[in-house]
Amino acid sequence: MGLLSLLRNLKKDSEEFRVLMLGLDNSGKTTALKKLAGEDVSHITPTQGFNIKSVQQDGFKLNVWDIGGQKHIRPYWKNYYQNTDAIVYMIDSADKRRTDEAADELTSLLEEPDLAGIPVLVYANKQDLLNAMSAADVMEALDLKGEKSRWVHVEGCSAKTGEGLEAGLSKLMEHKKSS
Amino acid sequence: MHALLPQARRRGMAKLRRFLLRYYPPGIILEYEQNGEKATRQVDLLTLTPETDVEILVNQIVRQEPLVSEARKPQLRKLIYKLIEKMESHENQSFYLFKILRAHILPLTNCAFNKSGDRFITGSYDRTCKVWNTFTGEELLTLEGHKNVVYAIAFNNPFGDKIVTGSFDKTAKLWNSETGELLHSLRGHTTEIVCLSFDPHGAVVATGSMDSTAKLWDVQRGVELCSLMGHTAEIVSLNFNTEGDKIITGSFDHTTKVWDVHTGVCLHTLSGHRGEISSTQFNFTGDLCISGSIDRTCKIWNVASGQCMNTLRGHNDEILDVAFNAQGSKLVTASADGTSRVYNTTTGACQAILIGHEGEISKVSFNPQGNKIITASSDRTCRVWDVESGDCLQILEGHTDEIFSAAFNYEGDTIITGSKDNTCRIWKC
Repeated sequence: MGLLSLLRNLKKDSEEFRVLMLGLDNSGKTTALKKLAGEDVSHITPTQGFNIKSVQQDGFKLNVWDIGGQKHIRPYWKNYYQNTDAIVYMIDSADKRRTDEAADELTSLLEEPDLAGIPVLVYANKQDLLNAMSAADVMEALDLKGEKSRWVHVEGCSAKTGEGLEAGLSKLMEHKKSS
Repeated sequence: MHALLPQARRRGMAKLRRFLLRYYPPGIILEYEQNGEKATRQVDLLTLTPETDVEILVNQIVRQEPLVSEARKPQLRKLIYKLIEKMESHENQSFYLFKILRAHILPLTNCAFNKSGDRFITGSYDRTCKVWNTFTGEELLTLEGHKNVVYAIAFNNPFGDKIVTGSFDKTAKLWNSETGELLHSLRGHTTEIVCLSFDPHGAVVATGSMDSTAKLWDVQRGVELCSLMGHTAEIVSLNFNTEGDKIITGSFDHTTKVWDVHTGVCLHTLSGHRGEISSTQFNFTGDLCISGSIDRTCKIWNVASGQCMNTLRGHNDEILDVAFNAQGSKLVTASADGTSRVYNTTTGACQAILIGHEGEISKVSFNPQGNKIITASSDRTCRVWDVESGDCLQILEGHTDEIFSAAFNYEGDTIITGSKDNTCRIWKC
């Protein structure tokens, strides 16, 4: 990585896509990123800053930025908005206590002028857990049905097993290609 | 001698008042009086080593420098011995972890010392710059006001009373380093500011931006002096020469440009690299500069003519950083291939390959004495190397994420490292 790679990553490049992965702490962003990159996911600690990895999907290079989701560092999400091509929003579908909090954060994201019109892929994560809400329930809980100003898709997934991760990105890229 | 003095004054002849020492690079500054005005002249001793024959050198200086009379010889001799002594100090000492500073709530970007080394600064993704006491590890000031990542930071060395910060929020800010007072916000760039520097006199700040321009600013008034236009892609590196009359900018457009600071005119475009420039630097005398590139080579350029003097090959991956030693006799390159290489500036010969890191090396620099090199890597360690042998002297371990920046203080007995793990560590001899 290094600082220089951060700068090269900031640069607007038509060949590559910059994907910003956001969501509450413990929703599984880093696990999903590592799984997508084919890395070991057995030892994941809370992200204090960010992780960046490049992922190939349907012939495209995605530079995925996984940003720490703890409450005290959420005000700094804005640091990363510029030149974003897509948002991946991660939900812990099994943590019903925090669904409102997750919905509120997403609502404020969608209101950000810097992110206007940017497509949003929501991962309804932790489908491997018995008490997880379905993708449709998550769609409902996040109140996304009325969202007309952008492409929104909710994909059920398990970052732990990897199930659904590529399917979600694939739908996002399909949309990107058609728009 | 005394009888001659009035006559000397009438002719406006210069009279030596005192000697001042400059340790790195070694030199003696002559402070003299001419027509009642105080002035200084530098005698650079860039080739001085502990093996130098001091008698020959003393005689040579007295012969070449009219300000220095025969009678000054004993004094001069003593000063040269002091310079040599300074070169040898800390030679065999190793660094230990002195303090871990839970510096910021988000990753650090860059860190830098003031000249005396008693304070240093860190920039961070948490949008602040913090000022630290090197001896106690105490946080002295938090410079708040930027609306995005504080990426580039600098003291106005050698003075150290001001700090400039450059941010992804497109502005640079000038601060009083003692009080933390915001002196000026420098607005004009249209995208992120990613490199900056004070000129050596502390009167001008230069900023380089992802908007492909560099700008010069008046420190006192906080106003833009000129825009350096011509690059066609992001500027990621800039440096003043020692004199402060020229500046070089390295760009993702594959070129480095040399600019006249007073007029803002581009004097040369140094082209030849086949990839983005990652890092640039002047040597001490300012006659040469180097550029490191993603094309895996480093080029040495003649600043006056704009000609490429040498292309240094050998790395198997992108070069991410380059640096001269204080004297300018050697240079070092850091690469994504996980190695660093030491080259002789004059011959271009590779004198050592620093092998050991398990990840890319993103920062490299010599200590001021020029006998050690520090490298910072994505493998979460810094390593200290012996310049002559290329041996790794020490591995500075402890950071839990990659290291973005590392710096020696002027004495060469303290190292600071800034990491993506949000901490800063102080290492001492």
